[in-house]
Amino acid sequence: MTVIKHHAYLFDATRCIDCRACMVACSVENNIDMDKTRIWVAGLGVTGEYPELQRGTMVYHCMHCDHPDCMSACPVGAYTKAEDGPVTYNPDLCIGCRYCMNACPFGVPHFDYDKGIIEGAFIDKCTFCPQRIYNGQEPACVETCPTDALEYGDREELIAKAHARIAEHPTRYIDHVYGEFENGGTSYLILSHVPFSELGLPNLPETPVNEVSEKVMEMTIPFALGWGAVLTAVTTGVALYDNKKKAASKEKAETTK
Amino acid sequence: MTKTISRRDFLKLGAASVGALAVGQMLPPMVAKAAKENGVLNAAGDGVISTMCEMCVWRCGVLAKIKEGRVVKLDGNPEHPHSRGNLCPRGQSGLMNTYDPDRVLTPLIRVGQRGEGKFREATWEEALDLVASKMTEIKNTYGAEAMVFSSTHNLSQPLFENLLYAFGSPNYGTQRSLCFNAMIVANLMTYGMEEPARIYDDKLKYILLTGRNLLEAISTSETSDLSHAIDRGAKVVYLDPRYTKTASKATEWLPIKPGNDLAFHLALLNIIISEKLYNRPFVEKNTVGFDELKKEVSRYTPEWAAPLTGIPAETITRIAHEFADAAPHTLAHNGWRTSNFVNSFHTQRAISILNALMGNWDVTMTEAAGEESGTLGAPPQPAYPRVSALRLDGVPWKYPVVPFKIGVFQELRDNIVSGDPYPAHGWFISRQNPIMSLPDRGKTIEAFGKLDFIVTVDIVLNDTAWFSDVVLPEASYLERYDPLLPVGDKVFLRQPVIEPQGEAKSALWIYKQLGERLGLGDFFQYEDEEDYLRQQLAPLGVSLEEVKIKGYAEAPETPHAAESAEKSWNTPSGKIELYSDTLAKVGFPGVPTWEEPPQPAEGEFYLLTGKVATSTQFGTQNNQLLHKYSDDPRLWINAKTAASLGLVDEDWVEVKSSVGQIHTPLLVTQAIRPDCLYMTPGYGHISKGLKTAFGVGASDSTVHVTFTDPISGGQALSQTFVTIKKA
Amino acid sequence: MKLNLTVQPRFRLNFSPLVWVLLTLMGIAFVVAMMRYAFGIGVISDLSYSYPWGFWISFDLFTGVAISSGGFLMAGTVYILRIKEFEPLLRPSVLTAFLGYIMVAIALLVDLGQPLRIWYMMIHWNHTSVLLEIGICVMSYLTVLAIEFAPVVLERFPKVHKVAHLIHKFIMPFVIFGVVLSTLHQSSLGSLLLIQPSKLHPLWWTPILPIMFFASAISIGLAMIILESSLSSRYFQRGLETHLLAKLAKAIPVALVIYGLLKFGELAVAGDFGYLFTSGTMSILFWAEILIGVITPIIWLSIKKNRESANGLLTGAIIVLGGMILNRFNVSWFAVKHPDPLFYMPTFMSNVKYFPTLPEVAVSLGIFAAGILAFGLAAKYLPVFEAEHEAEEVHQSLHGLQPIRASADD
Ligand SMILES: Nc1nc2c(c(=O)[nH]1)N[C@H]1C(S)=C(S)[C@@H](COP(=O)(O)OP(=O)(O)OC[C@H]3O[C@@H](n4cnc5c(=O)[nH]c(N)nc54)[C@H](O)[C@@H]3O)O[C@H]1N2
Ligand SMILES: Nc1nc2c(c(=O)[nH]1)N[C@H]1C(S)=C(S)[C@@H](COP(=O)(O)OP(=O)(O)OC[C@H]3O[C@@H](n4cnc5c(=O)[nH]c(N)nc54)[C@H](O)[C@@H]3O)O[C@H]1N2
Ligand code: SF4
Ligand code: SF4
Ligand code: SF4
Ligand code: SF4
Ligand code: SF4
Ligand SMILES: [Mo]
Repeated sequence: MTVIKHHAYLFDATRCIDCRACMVACSVENNIDMDKTRIWVAGLGVTGEYPELQRGTMVYHCMHCDHPDCMSACPVGAYTKAEDGPVTYNPDLCIGCRYCMNACPFGVPHFDYDKGIIEGAFIDKCTFCPQRIYNGQEPACVETCPTDALEYGDREELIAKAHARIAEHPTRYIDHVYGEFENGGTSYLILSHVPFSELGLPNLPETPVNEVSEKVMEMTIPFALGWGAVLTAVTTGVALYDNKKKAASKEKAETTK
Repeated sequence: MTKTISRRDFLKLGAASVGALAVGQMLPPMVAKAAKENGVLNAAGDGVISTMCEMCVWRCGVLAKIKEGRVVKLDGNPEHPHSRGNLCPRGQSGLMNTYDPDRVLTPLIRVGQRGEGKFREATWEEALDLVASKMTEIKNTYGAEAMVFSSTHNLSQPLFENLLYAFGSPNYGTQRSLCFNAMIVANLMTYGMEEPARIYDDKLKYILLTGRNLLEAISTSETSDLSHAIDRGAKVVYLDPRYTKTASKATEWLPIKPGNDLAFHLALLNIIISEKLYNRPFVEKNTVGFDELKKEVSRYTPEWAAPLTGIPAETITRIAHEFADAAPHTLAHNGWRTSNFVNSFHTQRAISILNALMGNWDVTMTEAAGEESGTLGAPPQPAYPRVSALRLDGVPWKYPVVPFKIGVFQELRDNIVSGDPYPAHGWFISRQNPIMSLPDRGKTIEAFGKLDFIVTVDIVLNDTAWFSDVVLPEASYLERYDPLLPVGDKVFLRQPVIEPQGEAKSALWIYKQLGERLGLGDFFQYEDEEDYLRQQLAPLGVSLEEVKIKGYAEAPETPHAAESAEKSWNTPSGKIELYSDTLAKVGFPGVPTWEEPPQPAEGEFYLLTGKVATSTQFGTQNNQLLHKYSDDPRLWINAKTAASLGLVDEDWVEVKSSVGQIHTPLLVTQAIRPDCLYMTPGYGHISKGLKTAFGVGASDSTVHVTFTDPISGGQALSQTFVTIKKA
Repeated sequence: MKLNLTVQPRFRLNFSPLVWVLLTLMGIAFVVAMMRYAFGIGVISDLSYSYPWGFWISFDLFTGVAISSGGFLMAGTVYILRIKEFEPLLRPSVLTAFLGYIMVAIALLVDLGQPLRIWYMMIHWNHTSVLLEIGICVMSYLTVLAIEFAPVVLERFPKVHKVAHLIHKFIMPFVIFGVVLSTLHQSSLGSLLLIQPSKLHPLWWTPILPIMFFASAISIGLAMIILESSLSSRYFQRGLETHLLAKLAKAIPVALVIYGLLKFGELAVAGDFGYLFTSGTMSILFWAEILIGVITPIIWLSIKKNRESANGLLTGAIIVLGGMILNRFNVSWFAVKHPDPLFYMPTFMSNVKYFPTLPEVAVSLGIFAAGILAFGLAAKYLPVFEAEHEAEEVHQSLHGLQPIRASADD
């Protein structure tokens, strides 16, 4: 196997048969509660009118964004983006604010709404199966896929592969590799025969979603210092002026007396 | 259809019940002793054990991951040709089959009324003694033929057959007549073999799928093969009244009118023969009966077929041309559950012949390696006793060309009910759920009512066990040894990855114990499971220990006929029989001949059945993992039809046939012909012993009418016509 | 400063029906909160995978923080700008803010999945997180408010009265710090939504959300002071500083015009005018917010007569608050689009509808009731309105006017 510099997946919607083997595999591999899941099938199902029909489904889990919004949003830094791709979550830090759920444009992290404080309610999401990928195995969802709709490998190579596939079958695919640039690039790359929006994917710009908020955050400290300085200046100015005025009126009063 | 098909509730079991937990929280017993001993596991109890899936009959190779002495994950074995590293959803859910909280873990003896579901736990001694004494009693009083045996294909079936043939009963029911009889018998009549293997190589250009929903009715490797063929750009034409997931990936979907596939294929033959598009040298050299065929199909023009099939004549003509153009890299897939209508045998013959005309033998089709490897050993055993009694299912006296081993399962019951030609008194069932899988559930239950004694071997209290007198718990496929499975040039081993839970035992053990109690011990000459396997392996010169570690042994394939200079087929003529004398002799048409299928009357609909990826037949709906990821079972109806009947999505309707009725919610969809309805099989369980599945969905078996194809004996599973009204 | 321990004589709280109602609401909220702690948020709320934030965030956090902005406005006005005539409004505003933030904190303790870890925010800093900024600001500001409000409590006890003086003496740094913190978190409440460009409707999402939030917080704060003074004057039968409130009221239209210009200017720049009439419910919500929260109050409060009558002021304040609270609900809830459940999704993901449950509302009501009760107690036992006499004298001497005495039962 080639050395993987940046772990990534390639999902090809033209191949996915919605068999859900990946979903079952993930639940077993990661020991997910029966009423939870880290991975699901999205899409509009069957569209069109009999007998002119089409179907598009896509397997949805964490995109392992290059600029993870979950990570950007989390106040306590419970998320980590590994140098080589995976975005992981650390329940030991989580305060349960669920801001990451709001932040993730893909609606990936989900929360234990049915757990009290003793059991501990946490976020869960796809981890990229580190226990497998760092032991020479493919992630559980990828490995089992009977049609190779899900593939795993190095991001650069998968991007090249995806473009090669489009070039080879130009009529089959929409000429775009979703995730190559979306949200600043994701580690989950998607090929499709139906518009990506039909697969439930948001239309995202190439700049990461968190770019604006991170810029604003960068400005916070300078702004606070500046604003503090301005206020101090104003305070002093007003105080000086006030005292001067007071003194003047006192003087005036005294002189008039 | 922008609606969510599934808003299924995940298991809403309370926090206290197992259901809310993850699989890992219900992993009880420890890893198999054998695995520990042979060093597959390290000191911490971690490692990987090779075995085989049994969530369906495809039997993919499985690598069971063991952690701290417990099995925590199943992965596809890359070395096994059926899995090639992948497992389907059912294979992935295998842990839950073993850890199903509803597993039966001790022998059960009925205490209440039959069908009441009241049992008491018993020891193996007691249960086996009881079964043996009842069977002996029946044999002594009414003859061995009064015991019916039935079982669905599984690895220990040779031992099951040992039991029944040694016992001396001719009455053997298998799932085959509910499944692929039409295909098997057609291939036997044409090629002299049950099912040729298909070759999906890089050159494969054109595939014609007749109702083979390969992307949902999954056989991991073949599903993968088809998918990759499509990916490479092979053209796939798919005939199905439903827009299945396979239809959505096919190049062309033809929503054919049910039962008329025969007309379509006859028209293809017509064009191919009349326009001389066939491979003449191949046909001349390897087939017999071309002239008879040519004469018969000359009537079946595409114009004739168009109104019958609902497919325009030009389309049929075009497909005939495309198909022939791609020859020999072209394949007409027979299908698997091919018994749809009483004319299905002819459909299957037409498909087999279509392939022969293309000369695609050894290009896209070849002789299957077969599961019986001549190279394996077996324990010695005496000859079976002669059986002279007639079979209750009418083979061969009513079904002259149906092989004995295959039978016509659904026809047993009438004779049990009527007691003609003789009454049956007992039924021994293993790994099968006839209450659900046979059509007309009412009739099956009625037949059960005529019997003095019913015993079922299963891993859960399935619906059939629910009506049984004794239930014998088999160890699950992750807990037991089974006889070896030859695939290609290897033989694969199923071995326990955990010790059996409770008192569950392997079939090898159960049958031997029973055999001994029935005085048939000579037919079970092995000490235990490992001894049986050693005897099997003896001719290969490989030790069981070695096989346990690798999971398989190399076994040179028995060279098949194809490799000899002159091809010959195992038919009376030694050639591919386009015209079959065998058929003609027993009064059936020797070449495929049009037979008008019955049609629904005004106001009636075809009721279709067909698999979904997330369950196998009638046995996995109780698997919590599969339950979790399955769509809610609903009755599919075409959106236009629904509108014309004033029905909307999720309405509850009453579905009625001549034999029964059910209530079910609707799924209004574009994905089905307007004259058809569809139900997912396997729901509507009766057994309350299946806590996850009980109460979910309705059973199509309740409304299925029994119609048997007179030639192949296949049950016409799409030939049930129903009315619906708002419930 | 002289001590005045005579609390409003006609104010009696002795378990009047109102108090019973408040206590009952608090009791219910307590029980609900205990259930939530025992069995999980899902048991009592309609929050889901699609709606991680609901009524609590919109009401308790977004609205709660906004309506507490009077505190920093008055602190800034009185201390920094030294506009001493507003002093009578200072303490009630600071008290409102103090209680407001405490309520926010309590609500968050219910909403957070791991309430016991709320302090993690102080040690595990993710500097890109807007929520961290809000958390830190709110916590710090609560401290500042406590310091600002401390003299009021301390004055009650003659023995520690010196401490009060001490605080007074060094109040300025805290005031400045408080204003900075408030500016930051009022605006960063808007920044919180910056990370949802794909989820928040373009009529609301803009990179200048923080500025919009700050701008609107000013009108909200001013309106809140008017509302709170009007109501307390009615319930506690004390003088209503109409002249002061009128001045505040005069500032509101100015703030709103700026806000409105920003809002439409931003839409124009972003090229989002198209959505103004074409987004169905979203367009309606947007216009409702603008009409109620911006246009109507600009007109209403530009009319002098309205500014100078107690009822006119109260009405104006309520309109502003109504519109602006709608704004907070819009940005944090109504206009946020959550992932649709598509073809196949597990149930816990497919609940895209959200409607707060009774228990959810009960929690907020209970906390609100506690706030009112606390305000009442403070008003009764602490010299919250102490400064008013002083100011009245100043005022009378300046303008020769009598303050209007409005009370519920005249
Ligand atoms: N996931 C899963 N996979 C399985 C199984 C399972 O239970 N679950 N079972 C295994 C077994 S035992 C078998 S036999 C195979 C069966 O696999 P398949 O042969 O694919 O059989 P089905 O899924 O039963 O039916 C296939 C299709 O036939 C269509 N059909 C019905 N009537 C007609 C007709 O008159 N003409 C045409 N052209 N189509 C018709 C139905 O709409 C359905 O989509 O699957 C195997 N694989
Ligand atoms: N309506 C309708 N009827 C059909 C079909 C359809 O599509 N629709 N399909 C037809 C087809 S293709 C087929 S092949 C037949 C299948 O018909 P059956 O063979 O009767 O049905 P299965 O559900 O496969 O039965 C398998 C049984 O084996 C049990 N089992 C599972 N694992 C083990 C084990 O390790 N040991 C033992 N002893 N038991 C085990 C399961 O609990 C289950 O009860 O049904 C046919 N009938
Ligand atoms: S998809 Fe969502 S959860 Fe996953 S890395 Fe991106 S922002 Fe985070
Ligand atoms: S819920 Fe946990 S992981 Fe998500 S943002 Fe809050 S603290 Fe971070
Ligand atoms: S990578 Fe692992 S955790 Fe993520 S969806 Fe796949 S199996 Fe689940
Ligand atoms: S396993 Fe592969 S084909 Fe099946 S649903 Fe998942 S991605 Fe699609
Ligand atoms: S096809 Fe699926 S269920 Fe059948 S043996 Fe293979 S993995 Fe198991
Ligand atoms: Mo089958």
